[in-house]
Amino acid sequence: MLKIIKVTGNSLSPFFLPGDYVLVSSYRPGYKKLHAGTVVVFQHTEFGRLIKRVHTNFPGTENMKVAGSHANSISSHKLDLIPYADLIGKVIFHIKQPRTSD
Amino acid sequence: MFYKFIQTIDRFRPFLKAKAHCDVPCGIYDPITAQINALTAVRMMDLMNGLAEGDEKSRVDFHNSISRYIAVKEEHAEKAKHEIRVIWGDFIKDAHVEKYPELPALVHKIMQFGSKSRQTADRDAGLAFVDAINQFAEIFWAIKDIKIKRAKAPYAPALEMVYPDL
Repeated sequence: MLKIIKVTGNSLSPFFLPGDYVLVSSYRPGYKKLHAGTVVVFQHTEFGRLIKRVHTNFPGTENMKVAGSHANSISSHKLDLIPYADLIGKVIFHIKQPRTSD
Repeated sequence: MFYKFIQTIDRFRPFLKAKAHCDVPCGIYDPITAQINALTAVRMMDLMNGLAEGDEKSRVDFHNSISRYIAVKEEHAEKAKHEIRVIWGDFIKDAHVEKYPELPALVHKIMQFGSKSRQTADRDAGLAFVDAINQFAEIFWAIKDIKIKRAKAPYAPALEMVYPDL
């Protein structure tokens, strides 16, 4: 299933800016692991619905580490491991707002 | 073009949001964004009232301009409220509220004036909105121990604003 989701916050800047939209394809348990660098949307118990990049898959488990690209992003350490079960989906298309430099 | 299309749909039927938020506080807080947004709302009210006093109300251009002014007023009044909520939620701490006990009521007032500025074209509500955010800015800079100055904004509607005196 596909969903359009709006990005808020700066943690993935300068690639994804607040106000951009992403097309997200639902991720179902049992699918193959996502590659590092894939941008994913997931539900976090403390921080709510987040968008981050996959950093690494945690060996031998159904968990991954995620990270932003901005220096002030929530650290992957603070986010802890993200279970694949909490994934809402992966970003397959980025709808950018007009950039001032464009 | 496609972005505009998606954005228009989002306005009428909001999409889900995903936060890419910064948790390590970047420390960049400034009420000027809220001040300018509130000022913009008043400017839109002025443009609307100016247009309504004209003789060309039957023209399509009139309706087009009014619609655009309303849309900008809505957007900027809401942005001003949002900016205040961010400073209120992320920057203001209990100790600040103890020192400035008027803060909670002031923030509540800003929310109400912001809503009134969206709901109506009542310039007095817009002025009260700007004034309340200026009061908030005054406290904000006092918390940061930075002197302020009051000066008229160098653009219409040229209302008096609170600026840090650096």
